Amino acid sequence: MNWILALPELVLALSGLAILGIGVLPKRNTHFACAMAAVGAFLLAAALAIGAPEGSAFGGQIVSDAFTRFAKVLILIGAAAGVVLSLDYNAREGLDRFEYPVLLVFATLGMLVMVSANDLMSLYIGLELLSLSLYVVAAFNRDDERSAEAGLKYFVLGALASGLLLYGSSLTYGFTGTTNFDRIADALSDPSKASSGLVVGMVFVIVGLAFKVSAVPFHMWTPDVYEGAPTPVTAFFAAAPKVAAIGLFARVLGGPFGDLAGQWQQVIVLISLLSMVLGAFAAIGQSNIKRLMAYSSIGHVGYALVGLAAASEAGMRGLLVYMAIYLLMNLGAFAVLVAMRRQGRAVERVEDLAGLARTDLSMAVWMAIFMFSMAGIPPLAGFFGKMFVFKAAIDAGLWTLAIVGVLSSVVSAFYYLRIVKVMFFDEPAGALDPRPASVSFVMAASGVFTTLFFLYPAPLVAAAQAAVAALLG
Amino acid sequence: MPDSLLLLALVCLPFLGALAAGLLPTRARDAASGIAGTVALACLGLVWAAYPTVSSGGVLRAEFAWMPTLGLNLTLRLDGFAWLFAGLISGIGALVVLYARYYMSSDDPVPRFFAFLLAFMGAMTGVVVSGNLVQLVFFWELTSLFSFLLIGYWHHTAAARDGARMALTVTGAGGLALFGGVLLIGHIVGSYDLDAVLSAGDRIREHPLYLPALILIVLGALTKSAQFPFHFWLPHAMAAPTPVSAYLHSATLVKAGVFLLARLWPVMAGTDAWAWTVGLAGLTTLLLGAYIAIFQNDLKGLLAYSTISHLGLITLLLGLKSELALVAAIFHIINHAAFKCSLFMAAGIIDHETGTRDIRRLSGLNQSMPFTARLAMVAAAAMAGVPLLNGFLSKEMFFAEALTAEAPLSPLLNILPLAAMLASAFSVAYSLRFIHGAFFGPVATDLPRTPHEPASWMRLPVEILVLTCIVVGLLPAATVGPYLAIAVHGVLGDDVPYYSLAVWHGFNLPLVMSLIALAGGVMLYALLQQRLRGDVEGPPLIRRLDAQRIFEQVMVFLSWRLARRLETLLGTRRLQPQLRLIVGIGLLAGAGAVWLRGFGPGNLPSTPVDPVLALVWMVGAAFALGTAWQAKFHRLAAVMLLGGVGLVVCITFVWFSAPDLALTQLTVEVVTTVLLVLGLRWLPKRFQVAGDRGPEVLTRTRRARDLAIAVGAGCGLAALSYAVMTRVPPELLASHFLERAYTEGGGTNVVNVILVDFRGFDTLGEIFVVAAVALTTYALLRRFRPAADSVEIPEQQRDQDGATQHDDAVRPTADWLLVPFTLTRLLFPVMLVVAVFLMLRGHDLPGGGFSAGMVVAIAILLQYIIGGAAWTEAHLRLRPQIWLGAGLLIASGTGIVAWFFGRPFLTTYFAYAELPLIGKVPTASALIFDIGVFALVVGATLLMLVALAHQSVRGHRAAPRRVGSRAGEA
Repeated sequence: MNWILALPELVLALSGLAILGIGVLPKRNTHFACAMAAVGAFLLAAALAIGAPEGSAFGGQIVSDAFTRFAKVLILIGAAAGVVLSLDYNAREGLDRFEYPVLLVFATLGMLVMVSANDLMSLYIGLELLSLSLYVVAAFNRDDERSAEAGLKYFVLGALASGLLLYGSSLTYGFTGTTNFDRIADALSDPSKASSGLVVGMVFVIVGLAFKVSAVPFHMWTPDVYEGAPTPVTAFFAAAPKVAAIGLFARVLGGPFGDLAGQWQQVIVLISLLSMVLGAFAAIGQSNIKRLMAYSSIGHVGYALVGLAAASEAGMRGLLVYMAIYLLMNLGAFAVLVAMRRQGRAVERVEDLAGLARTDLSMAVWMAIFMFSMAGIPPLAGFFGKMFVFKAAIDAGLWTLAIVGVLSSVVSAFYYLRIVKVMFFDEPAGALDPRPASVSFVMAASGVFTTLFFLYPAPLVAAAQAAVAALLG
Repeated sequence: MPDSLLLLALVCLPFLGALAAGLLPTRARDAASGIAGTVALACLGLVWAAYPTVSSGGVLRAEFAWMPTLGLNLTLRLDGFAWLFAGLISGIGALVVLYARYYMSSDDPVPRFFAFLLAFMGAMTGVVVSGNLVQLVFFWELTSLFSFLLIGYWHHTAAARDGARMALTVTGAGGLALFGGVLLIGHIVGSYDLDAVLSAGDRIREHPLYLPALILIVLGALTKSAQFPFHFWLPHAMAAPTPVSAYLHSATLVKAGVFLLARLWPVMAGTDAWAWTVGLAGLTTLLLGAYIAIFQNDLKGLLAYSTISHLGLITLLLGLKSELALVAAIFHIINHAAFKCSLFMAAGIIDHETGTRDIRRLSGLNQSMPFTARLAMVAAAAMAGVPLLNGFLSKEMFFAEALTAEAPLSPLLNILPLAAMLASAFSVAYSLRFIHGAFFGPVATDLPRTPHEPASWMRLPVEILVLTCIVVGLLPAATVGPYLAIAVHGVLGDDVPYYSLAVWHGFNLPLVMSLIALAGGVMLYALLQQRLRGDVEGPPLIRRLDAQRIFEQVMVFLSWRLARRLETLLGTRRLQPQLRLIVGIGLLAGAGAVWLRGFGPGNLPSTPVDPVLALVWMVGAAFALGTAWQAKFHRLAAVMLLGGVGLVVCITFVWFSAPDLALTQLTVEVVTTVLLVLGLRWLPKRFQVAGDRGPEVLTRTRRARDLAIAVGAGCGLAALSYAVMTRVPPELLASHFLERAYTEGGGTNVVNVILVDFRGFDTLGEIFVVAAVALTTYALLRRFRPAADSVEIPEQQRDQDGATQHDDAVRPTADWLLVPFTLTRLLFPVMLVVAVFLMLRGHDLPGGGFSAGMVVAIAILLQYIIGGAAWTEAHLRLRPQIWLGAGLLIASGTGIVAWFFGRPFLTTYFAYAELPLIGKVPTASALIFDIGVFALVVGATLLMLVALAHQSVRGHRAAPRRVGSRAGEA
């Protein structure tokens, strides 16, 4: 048993407990200390993840390879940024309770377990640890009706999806006699012998995972939860867990079910197609910017799944690059959303950004960069993400998917540009409150990455390449 | 200078200049324009430095690693065609910078303007020197972006904002379509490299994906070049400062579209599809633009539509299946850049000096600005195609092509010369209007400013351009000839057709057509005089067909109505439909997979159905249906029926010889039912708002639908279970445990051995979790007392309170339910004995710590239910926390003891012991572990149930009572 391989997870688990202790014992408010400790734990875990040796541990329950390294670093960056974004907001909204960073630490622990899972069991444990923590943070502002509703709704639907996932897992176990990914892959090495019960099981697993990544038609919860949850929570939701869930998706479909690609490819093509189109059209009519970003995230999941649908090395690489870029630009966009406060109250309508260029030019410029990037307009990072996945799809012969993707990004460009227009051209709706340095930091870091990615894309692409090589082994 | 450095400098210099200009202070007009001018001239110098290579038919090429994993390099490639464009971009750029220096007011943030302009210049250069299609798209979108910023430069005016947004929406979207097309081309060719693409013409044209690729690419080009039906953004972009219009709409932005068409001409043209899309769009635009231009009252609007029309001409030429037409197109690109740029500048001068651009207000400017008037007249004449000017030459070539070109359909061929003449006549008419309206007639008196000649530096660019028009018009072969040859060679390679650049080709048909068009144009203008002076806005006949309004309407429809409708149709914020959707799709997905793969029973022989068991199951099914039915109307009944279902399951377990499971099921069933009932107390009664309900039919339909979903899901699960159970399972863990339960665990009750021995570590973890859950439940519910205004005290409790108000509060229930009360008291010791029995025999026979713990918990629960919390706690000292803690300690202690014997954690020791009375009892150390489990289960169940049950005590805590304090202790 090589527990060194699980060092990042162990560090997070212990830090979570330690932070809980820090939070409970003193009589004064320890939110800030806990949050800082959480960020520290994330950074430490990230450092450990980068240096982690490769191999599998705990009886093949978890693995550590280039893929887990890639995903873990992204997740930890997203989580750390999520905590940083919440600092000021939570203090002002009276949500500065120490449980918040603790829950995020446990959620992140769940994500790490998810991406390093090499067994349906550890997959489920990670997924549920993540989900349970997220249900609670969604309802973190419990005095707010919308937040409570968001948490409850997410819980009920999430439990249902988890049930489907479990059912699929048990069918898989029943037909292959194992829950280990490697051995499932061995059992499936001849796809023609895969029994239909197994295919049904796989379909249920896909359904459960599709819910977690909020792909259409399992997306319904996303706008409600994004809108209801406190904004930093939404920012967290849209960043790290998305990467983790997509990573898990890639791991499960690329690993144990890799030889059944012919079977799942059509399913992924379909949900990717639907997600892109719905994400593009449904966002247009939204006036609440958090709902809009929810639909935008649905669309982005659709684009990322284009890479998965290609079911090729290039496709998986595209998927990973896409998620990395998505994570980093999305954090910036949500930093802007978190900073949207006027006269001490959080505002979240698109109109509230009106005339931002005249009251806070730098924020307006950053936001414009994020919006252009999400629309996939060069030279910003978002363009390259799209390029990678579309190219992979075309090389895999899925040119309908690629063309629908391109056309739906045309449609989605419309609402991203609307935000730019509102910020730059509309009459100011009054200045926003000055934003705290923590939010500005996330915004600027994300903005610089988004803008300058094209200058030196090689490291990220190379890391993704290595991750894919490990994933498809 | 090495090629790579030259090309890199050509692309990067403008961007660096933009950065430098952008960093200047807001008022630094001279410094910014100085930087811009230097950069533009330097670029022009660089282009000129490439002339020797390019003129000898060579291609400059440089590659830089960019995304090696994707096979994408930054490839810069300068052939003759790109060279011509690069020259136009930097040359005209330099002139525009000079012009803008004097045009822009010092009140505007001029450095920003020059920064955008330079960045745009860089992007445009990037488009033309891209040696890679993806990179071309990249720069293409950059031009959209910077043109957006340039058009919206005066963002305080609504027109500029709308114009900029529309331009970006249309060209940006077109760019994305182009991106799709480029990806397809890359897929067909296998490379994005321009050289590779250009040498794969046949493969592209014969590929099945040719048509989609063509459509997407043409969409990109047409939107960029403002071709019908995407022409409407260009007139609105006229809200930009005039230097921007002069630059973007004469030589650069809109030319990018035709540049692309010409660039890909060798590989994509020549098919009917190409002719239909490109040619038809060009023809329509040519006529429509020219027609609308006549009726524009705004000088720049007139020029905008004339630009659309001339670009239509170029597009049409590119759409014809003729290499000579391509030559004409390239020639016209040059000519149009020269005269249109100078006209825009002239219009800008007029605007600058008079304060208006309305042709109806302007008049007689010939008096006050004679020199500008002369320049404008020459440029307009070139635009109209008057002989001895450059416009005439390319128009002649166009006429010649119109007469000879092949078209996919013969009627089109007959129309083409007519259409050419008509468009030409229109162009004469609007050129006349421009000149006549602005410079002739009586001197206007009501102008916002007194007109006079502009600064001579401002006029210099116009002079240079007009001079070019004249020189090219007079001596085409000597001046523009070599450059045109280079450009044509760049596109077509060595098979350049013969063409002649001369003013006089003899008295032939094209000349006749020119003369007719000239005369027709003059006549048309004369006829329309009356109408044009009026206040009627827009062209006759097609005024209602305003593309911009259609665009707006489509946008509103898409962005508002369609989106709203889709959301109401497809989206919902209610939980129930969302749940329904997930279940429904899960069901469909499962069914779909089954349907696709086929899914029959397995190979195991089926055993006959026992009629009694079938009957039991029918009872169970009836219970289940009843639960579902009653859940809406009567929750308590539903819970009881659910208990019935559990009972049937329990019997089934017994039937199939799984007494252990049955026992567990039974005890768990009892406890969960009690839990449910305790929880249900707090739910409000079902209420109905009068008038809020739909018709009865709707309700019924809804319930029927729910029933259908439930039946579907149930059948699906049943089918799956059937399929699974009729198969020989693969090698599972079960056989492993069955073999080893006795030999290694010393027990015949395999389930128990697994729990306490094989998977003892898991069980230990689980009991810790159970303990944590129990404590959490207790912590949450300990103080649970809902506010009076949120939840009422449950009805049952109110009844009870009413009944006991006047009574002795300590022993209320005993008086009500005397017989059950006595019975349960008698039963209590019996149940404890049963628990001990189950506990001890658990290792070999059904039973075990868990079941025993449940039985004890049930025994105590019975006392609570019948006797009431107060009475029970007065007679039984319950310490759930102690049970919990003891259980955990015992269980972990057993594990730790193993360490003292040098064994791993939780290793069991096994033997039989003779106990008096009971006989031989298996005494594995696992038994001690099992006792720990037992204690924990008792403690946890009690703690949770007590926490729930005490709400009834707490409901009326206001009255201080003896038992109340004790309840608080627990």
